[in-house]
Amino acid sequence: MAMTRREAFKTLAKGTLPVLAAGCVSTALPTAARAADDNELESNSKYRKVDEAHALGLLYDATKCVGCKSCMVKCSEYNELKPDTRVDGIHQAPPSLNYFTKNLIKLYRSDDGSDHSYFKQQCMHCIDPGCMNACMFGGLRKDEETGVVWWYGPKCVGCRYCQIACPFHIPAFQWDGFNPKIVKCELCRTPMQKDPSKKEPGCTKVCPTNAVIYGTRKDLLAEAKRRVAAAPGKYYQDKVYGEHDAGGTQVLYLSRVGYDKIGLPDVGEASIPSTLKYSHMAYKWMVLPLLLYGTMVALASKNFAHHSHHLVEEQKETGLRPQL
Amino acid sequence: MTRWERSVPVYGVPVLTRGFWALCALIAVGLVLTGYREVAGLTAGISGMTDPFAWGLWKTFNVMVLTGLGSGGFAVGIAAWVFNNKKLHSVMRVALLTSCLAYWTGLCMLGIDVGRPWNFYWVVLPWQWNLHSPLLEIAVCMSLYASVPLFLENLPPIFEYIIYEFPKWRSIAETCESVMAKVYPFIIGLAYILPMMHQSSLGALMVLGGKRVHTLWQTPCLPLIYVWAAAYLGYNCVTLCILLAKLAWKRDVDPVVMAELNKLTVWLVYSWTAFRFLDIIVRGKFLHAFTDGYFSILFWVETALTLGSAYVLSTEKGKKLSTMFNAHLLCAVGGMIYRFSPTTLAFSAKENAFYFPAAAELIVCLTFIAIAVLGYLVAVKKLAILPGSNEDWMKMAKYEESIKPGIQLTGYAPADH
Ligand code: SF4
Ligand code: SF4
Ligand code: SF4
Repeated sequence: MAMTRREAFKTLAKGTLPVLAAGCVSTALPTAARAADDNELESNSKYRKVDEAHALGLLYDATKCVGCKSCMVKCSEYNELKPDTRVDGIHQAPPSLNYFTKNLIKLYRSDDGSDHSYFKQQCMHCIDPGCMNACMFGGLRKDEETGVVWWYGPKCVGCRYCQIACPFHIPAFQWDGFNPKIVKCELCRTPMQKDPSKKEPGCTKVCPTNAVIYGTRKDLLAEAKRRVAAAPGKYYQDKVYGEHDAGGTQVLYLSRVGYDKIGLPDVGEASIPSTLKYSHMAYKWMVLPLLLYGTMVALASKNFAHHSHHLVEEQKETGLRPQL
Repeated sequence: MTRWERSVPVYGVPVLTRGFWALCALIAVGLVLTGYREVAGLTAGISGMTDPFAWGLWKTFNVMVLTGLGSGGFAVGIAAWVFNNKKLHSVMRVALLTSCLAYWTGLCMLGIDVGRPWNFYWVVLPWQWNLHSPLLEIAVCMSLYASVPLFLENLPPIFEYIIYEFPKWRSIAETCESVMAKVYPFIIGLAYILPMMHQSSLGALMVLGGKRVHTLWQTPCLPLIYVWAAAYLGYNCVTLCILLAKLAWKRDVDPVVMAELNKLTVWLVYSWTAFRFLDIIVRGKFLHAFTDGYFSILFWVETALTLGSAYVLSTEKGKKLSTMFNAHLLCAVGGMIYRFSPTTLAFSAKENAFYFPAAAELIVCLTFIAIAVLGYLVAVKKLAILPGSNEDWMKMAKYEESIKPGIQLTGYAPADH
């Protein structure tokens, strides 16, 4: 296809500019925007404001866990969930978290079998949760005082976007039935509300070795740091998982084996919602979309007037009804 | 050489063909399965979805891929009306019809896919929205687009049909038409801004997928690359529809308009590819295009299909209709794979997690494609959608007037003249 450079440029402009413009609306104008708004994160998630001293969570120390699975049993009991014994009809041993299972103890074993560690899985109660950012109408919400992330059925459309957006694969969807639910650990919020004599979650109450304990994030973090300081080199990288990971979580972990081996991937320190912050900026006050809309209407009006005129002329010639 | 001057219905062929009934049969089966899904939920027999692979074909293909293919109304329209590319007006109706069908079937699939659709009513209460959710943006903008601007844009052929076929309603239809003409620029402005927003949000969806989306695809620019792909997919779809019409009903092709469609496709693909490479290189991930086995191959398959087809379209060979058809088809396949990758092909959910659609899921997916195809086949035979020449119109008029006495398709004079 022969074309001059000027033609080529013109075509390029005609074809690409609209898309480019679309991109400006949707993605981001990186540097300028970045400079303009560095604490966007704050407003992305007003829940950051949950006071550390009130934010509740768990501290799970994998080195103390003996794998007795008492916490799984207690969790089912507190949350009135039928134990998932589908594997052999006797043992509560689901392969992963699912809609009967808010809490799971698993075993990591290294390939040569020389090393092993138990680990516990439940919601991390992120400070800036990906699941909540994904949810359209607020089917997942964060308690304003305790920061506990819980599911609110009347606002959930069952889109399962929370499952995509949770970096820890926590929310489970009920795949059977016409009225499905999202099931995840809610830090025993409901059982404790129903029965005020319950002062702590099932899993922490029953744990025989205190491998999992309950408290405010502030206290738990201090305790975790104390343990790390008391035994340097004992814990993997001397790190408390959840202090900064995924923007920080209210559930904290300590482990001797690598965190990635016990279901806690390296997700970086930025919270999941913050990855979208540039896209949000493009929509700020709807300025950019409105500007673009105005421009397009102006250009289209002009071109439309010409086109209509042309149609009328044509109709005079052909006697055929003009088509829009 | 044919010149496209106006849209002309496909005439002289029956609507109720064997293909029509075959599609109806598929749709009937699919709708029964859909009904069963509503009662039984998304259980194992019905869908292959699992907790780690929470999204299956219905969302990832029917919505995220096929509305890309249905972006002609936006991508061609913007070039025609905003950038005043006059040659493209002749194919606008094809573009708008395909968009309308792709979007409406996509929206239906979205409604069938979600588990608690009755809670969708919050969408009409803006103060209940979580403005940070890309999916909310899609739910709002996509349904708004499909039910307002895109719907209105598709009305003129229907008005015309009424005017010709039902003389009693003629004055009402003409009034509607003239009202529409007055507000048209405002409608089409909306018809471009809304798809820009939600087509890019479709990309933003997977940004929240984080590291589960392979690094060759995962980027903060995913929204931009996604909407860009939608643009050329729209062109592919329009061109393919026209070439298929030539094949099926011997409709003549206007080489000038085809060349224009090709040219724009080529540049969109070139610029898209360049931008995609730039993004990968700037993020310092280019080595992954060679070291990551399956993912690297997938990446090159996408690139080869789109870029290769665009190259062929830009050469002399691309002017031959059969080559043109193949090139657009392969380009569309490449683009569709790209739009499918972040959610499925390049999505690593969890170790050992695997997704393959269940038979019923696949049938329902095909059912809603069949509904769109069926709608298209009926529409082009009843309404003036496909482009043709004035001469074609005259022939069509003669034919129609001979079988439907009393109908008048030529010699039009507006009421006020
Ligand atoms: S499935 Fe429900 S809770 Fe999860 S994101 Fe969708 S609407 Fe929100
Ligand atoms: S761990 Fe997952 S489900 Fe729990 S709060 Fe964080 S993002 Fe939400
Ligand atoms: S806090 Fe409650 S719901 Fe969560 S894991 Fe422990 S017992 Fe289960």
